[in-house]
Amino acid sequence: MTQLPPEVVRIAEDIKEMRIRGAGRIARAGAEALKLAAQKYRGSPSPEDFRRYMERVAHYVVSTRPTAVSLPNAVSFVMKRLREAEGSFRELVATVVAAADEFIETSLRAVETIGRIGARMIKDGETILTHCHSTAAVSVLVAARKMGKEIKVYTTETRPKFQGRITYRQLAEAGVNATQIPDSAVRSVMKRVDKVVVGADTITSDGALINKVGTSQVALAAHEARVRLFVAAETYKFSPASVHGVPVLIEERPPEEVAPRKWLERNPGVKVRNPAFDVTPPEYIDAIITELGVIPPKAAAMVLRELFGYSAEAEKLVLVAVEHDEAGVYY
Amino acid sequence: MTDLADRTVQLYRIMGSTEAADYALREALGIIKTAGSIDELRKKLASFAADVIKARPTSALMLNTFRDILMALTNLEGVEPAEARRLLAEKVESWIARARESVEKLAEIGARRIPDETRILTHSYSYSVVRTLEKCVAQGKRIEVVVTESRPTGEGLATAETLSSKGIPVTLIVDSAARFIMKDVDLVLMGAEAIAANGAVVNKVGSSLIALAAHEARRRVFIAAGTYKFSVETVFGELVEIPSLPPRAVLSPEEAEKLGDDYKAWFPLMDVTPPEYIDAIITEMGMVAPEAVPLVLRELYGSWPPRLPDIDELLERLSG
Repeated sequence: MTQLPPEVVRIAEDIKEMRIRGAGRIARAGAEALKLAAQKYRGSPSPEDFRRYMERVAHYVVSTRPTAVSLPNAVSFVMKRLREAEGSFRELVATVVAAADEFIETSLRAVETIGRIGARMIKDGETILTHCHSTAAVSVLVAARKMGKEIKVYTTETRPKFQGRITYRQLAEAGVNATQIPDSAVRSVMKRVDKVVVGADTITSDGALINKVGTSQVALAAHEARVRLFVAAETYKFSPASVHGVPVLIEERPPEEVAPRKWLERNPGVKVRNPAFDVTPPEYIDAIITELGVIPPKAAAMVLRELFGYSAEAEKLVLVAVEHDEAGVYY
Repeated sequence: MTDLADRTVQLYRIMGSTEAADYALREALGIIKTAGSIDELRKKLASFAADVIKARPTSALMLNTFRDILMALTNLEGVEPAEARRLLAEKVESWIARARESVEKLAEIGARRIPDETRILTHSYSYSVVRTLEKCVAQGKRIEVVVTESRPTGEGLATAETLSSKGIPVTLIVDSAARFIMKDVDLVLMGAEAIAANGAVVNKVGSSLIALAAHEARRRVFIAAGTYKFSVETVFGELVEIPSLPPRAVLSPEEAEKLGDDYKAWFPLMDVTPPEYIDAIITEMGMVAPEAVPLVLRELYGSWPPRLPDIDELLERLSG
């Protein structure tokens, strides 16, 4: 067995110990690790040995943070290219390097590209509602403003952690006319809203959106009021595991986020359920705005095939990502 | 009199509209007992009534009780001061008692409708809902309750605390998790601030979102509300005004400072649930479909449409 290069181990450790954070950064670090692994490979120059080595590296990198969707995603992207490539050992190394570079480049520009595409879909004078904080969704709104469109934005507070306040601040700083509302007022304002733009935590192969809890009821209220809903999502948010039938785990977070610790101690009979995410069905989503273009939600499978392929090796790789057992509800 | 905005905050800080009306009625009782002349009593009481109605404009209970009291006030010509005081005090006390009795009755009816081993979702805080759930337990039913915290004012915690202290298993969630949890609950039970002529229910903001999610998941929605919550004004086309709280009344001082002076927010207190998302209103006069509001009003006031004096005209007449 060829030893893994120390550079690769270092990146893997950084991901594992959460020194590298954020979906985009983790994904790019994963691609970088594969690139370095290929460049520093000192084993036998046989294409078969190299392929086996790279599969091993891929499994190793993915296993560092099995819950991060973007990580198996980046790794799957690079490995698909390698699996489909033919040629000499040198050519295969070049394929891995080129694929990793392409992933990193696209991912770095993804948010900006999404902003540009999404902004075209917003008209001057429209009122937009957004939930939680999403860099991609904010990018769309700020880009629309920069195009000279006068938009008004409602941003939800997003209990329990108030991430909506970050959205509010970023929009206000960019000169967008923003108003904060409590999550409970989503249906109250919906009649005044022209479009909803939200981000994504994960998108599954059937086109469902897993995003911050409350998103699905925003979508329901939009659907009821015939208000269009767009999801701004980098393609590394699409879940390769869902292609292979693996359900998405909905994390349940500590009760202290919902009620003060003292209150909880005073009321030991009260249980708190604090799901971090919920599931929005594709029928409430009008389109997903990705850096590769706008797609209907049910075409998610196409994006997943296109980027990560469908093979026994691909299946094995994503299963590494789900060989863990954590508290939560599967959907 | 306190500044209207402060009075609004104060009256909406009192959790349920039943409690808010109870509080206002007791204050009215104080005015009746301490005012000097009948003229002073009339002016003070009319001005107080105008004040609380403006401060909690959504509350049909507040309107209905104070309209009745104001009507009594106009009929005091030639009555001895002591007798007038006694009559008025009796009127107010009978309202305080009636509100409580109605809740007891509707709670009994509502509890019958809830089967054994039911998981109920409720929103915010409602005295009528709490009493209904307590009666369920008294009837020996094993129930579980999921309650939303109910931003911006957060009364859900009071509901959770109250029910839990009675031994009812309670789960607390954020408002955003209502649709997430909907498949795990059997029915929704909420209170009301006012019920409009068409059966629409005005209640704490978020109620309509929960009713919508219940409708989507085919869960039944029941509203526990006495008939005194039926809004007569809406029969004549009046719209129920939805007040909102200023951010300073919602945020902690630290939060307010962090968010800055420019922080623009809209914190509405109520919303409107259309009748099509409501299965029944549980009143002390029985369970009725929301569309049967006119029927209840006819029984309550003896005619359809109800023949009642306009509250603004009453106020004008008394203060003039």
